[in-house]
Amino acid sequence: MTQSPIAPAPIGRWNAAKRDQARNLFTELADIPSTDQRHKIIRDELVEMHMPLVEHLARRYRERGESLEDLVQVGMVGLINAVDRFEVARGLEFSTFATPTILGEIKRHFRDHAWAVHIPRRLQERNSEINHAIESLTRELNRPPTIAELAKLTKLSDAEVMAAMDAGRAYAAASIDAAAEAHESGDSPYDRIGDVDPALEALELRETFRPLLAALPKRERQIVMLRFFKNQSQSQIAEQLGISQMHVSRLLAMSLAQIREGMSEN
Amino acid sequence: MPSAIWQATSVNPENVDPRHPPGDVTLSFRATTANVALARTMAAAMAARTHLTIDQIEDVRLAVDEAVSQLVNDCDAQTQVHCDFTELAGTLVIRTTATTRTGLPPATDTFSWLVLAALVDEVIAGTDNGLVHLELRIKRPASVTV
Repeated sequence: MTQSPIAPAPIGRWNAAKRDQARNLFTELADIPSTDQRHKIIRDELVEMHMPLVEHLARRYRERGESLEDLVQVGMVGLINAVDRFEVARGLEFSTFATPTILGEIKRHFRDHAWAVHIPRRLQERNSEINHAIESLTRELNRPPTIAELAKLTKLSDAEVMAAMDAGRAYAAASIDAAAEAHESGDSPYDRIGDVDPALEALELRETFRPLLAALPKRERQIVMLRFFKNQSQSQIAEQLGISQMHVSRLLAMSLAQIREGMSEN
Repeated sequence: MPSAIWQATSVNPENVDPRHPPGDVTLSFRATTANVALARTMAAAMAARTHLTIDQIEDVRLAVDEAVSQLVNDCDAQTQVHCDFTELAGTLVIRTTATTRTGLPPATDTFSWLVLAALVDEVIAGTDNGLVHLELRIKRPASVTV
């Protein structure tokens, strides 16, 4: 993936008056407790006001096969985080502060959702349709759906659903690089993992196992721990990490294979 | 010679190993890692057919990967590994068997066992005269209507 310059983005129709208005709103926001109704109103206003920034940044990536709408949506997550973290007293321009955060979310989206191998467009679209169906059925049924339930909702055959999900499994081998990247913020869900030592103590060969677990990229390690030591389901992990369940499954399979290989070498 | 065959229900009763009754579908293959993928794919297809949820299907795939890889590692390459898949009243039963080098059932204090136990509802391991078997059971949630 090419590196984009992390520079504040110029925005059309964005002028000094607006910049001052944003600064004033941030100053006001800093003095209002977050429980206050006005806090929410100002925060919303700031988010709305900076939406053109997100659109501008998202447009840089529109030639990469993801819809602009999706990119704007993930960029908005970055914008909201930036609004919440921005400290006006530091004197930095908000757009300068927000740009890397927004780009970070968009890049994360590519890491997690981009297609690493060429999959026919039709299958990609079908896959994304199925992902939407999985989300809505999971909410509706309060459990993950079956293939038959997905087929019914998407008006596809069972075989078509399975084929699209297989294609989904083929995407984003890029996650290996992604996981090798250091994790920026201290409050990401990856860090919310307690000590797994009590569970490890029960394992024979734990001295062999521990370094193998440690050798996994950070995100894979966390997924393995959440699944096998915290007994969370793949869907729960997917939701928590903001990636698809298919992606969790693929990362688990790779990690288990790596651990198994390491074990048999010992 | 094909390194893997699969057969559906019609098994000649005279060939049935009494210790090892046939499932709805049986997959037999030589104990090589390349064949593990076949077991995994078949398991996912059977899980879908049993109307397990997509989470369970993925878990079954991982569990079969783990169980069969483990058996294959313990076998000589010419050994046949068998996977029987049966649906019993909403439960998918996957039984993998092979004659391993040690003839010992897998240890239960390993990471591999922990993985299996976390992925399926029940794991049963046993051994009979050098024939090691590992049985995985996955229950369809009561809320799924078939």
